[in-house]
Amino acid sequence: MQYQTNLNRQQLVELVLTRYFANIDRKDLDGTLACFHDCALVTVQTSFALHEGTASVRRMFADLFARHSRIAHKNVNCTVDAKNGRIAASYIEELVANDGVRSVFENTAFWRLRADRFQELYVYVSGAQSH
Amino acid sequence: MSQLAYEYYVDIVTKRYFDAVDKQDLQRVLDCFHADATLKEMTSNTEHRGREIGIKKMFESLFDAHSRIWHGNFVHTVDIEGQAICSQFSVEVTPHASGQELRYENCNRFYLLDGKFDRVYVYMSGDNLLK
Repeated sequence: MQYQTNLNRQQLVELVLTRYFANIDRKDLDGTLACFHDCALVTVQTSFALHEGTASVRRMFADLFARHSRIAHKNVNCTVDAKNGRIAASYIEELVANDGVRSVFENTAFWRLRADRFQELYVYVSGAQSH
Repeated sequence: MSQLAYEYYVDIVTKRYFDAVDKQDLQRVLDCFHADATLKEMTSNTEHRGREIGIKKMFESLFDAHSRIWHGNFVHTVDIEGQAICSQFSVEVTPHASGQELRYENCNRFYLLDGKFDRVYVYMSGDNLLK
């Protein structure tokens, strides 16, 4: 599906960096969900986990936030296709579980924009799965 | 080198690289890479260094092990400024050993220099094929 968006390169990067990842790292559930359409589709492709719609996406992030004392996304390197409303990024994800166990992943995510929000998100996780 | 066109990135990934992989044409595959390129399989943290050493050996093993390789269902995120293309796609392979078709939903991040692959990162939805 090809969606329509008017977001430019800078706006796409800001959405991913300053709204999506920043809200996750703050464990701001409503702020994170505000980046998505109500009918958004989130797929963790490396584990075939599918989350469809706000309730399911909310559960996924609520569970991630509840199980970790610290969440940090770093070294985000964006690949931006503003012409087609798509942005991908590689990034380091650091998770510290409530029992103190620290996991570091080198992930890649793909977002497809409809208007000013995410319609689809695909996450590819390196190594062991964490969410 | 002047900025490459959007379609150059799509063509080198689909019409040159994956077409050559599917036809098991090793030389055409290797022609897409710089001599000192690296290819890293992120889900298993396996890195192959050098076009004529690590990458060549990896593709020889892949081709020796499979009677059929097919890549399709592409969705690309192309960044002309960043000289990068991130691609999501399906893979079907048939190993000689089992004769049973396997299917994966993968993504690659390709970073180019002067029109050839400099760094390639691969995420796979199942077991690593690129050993």
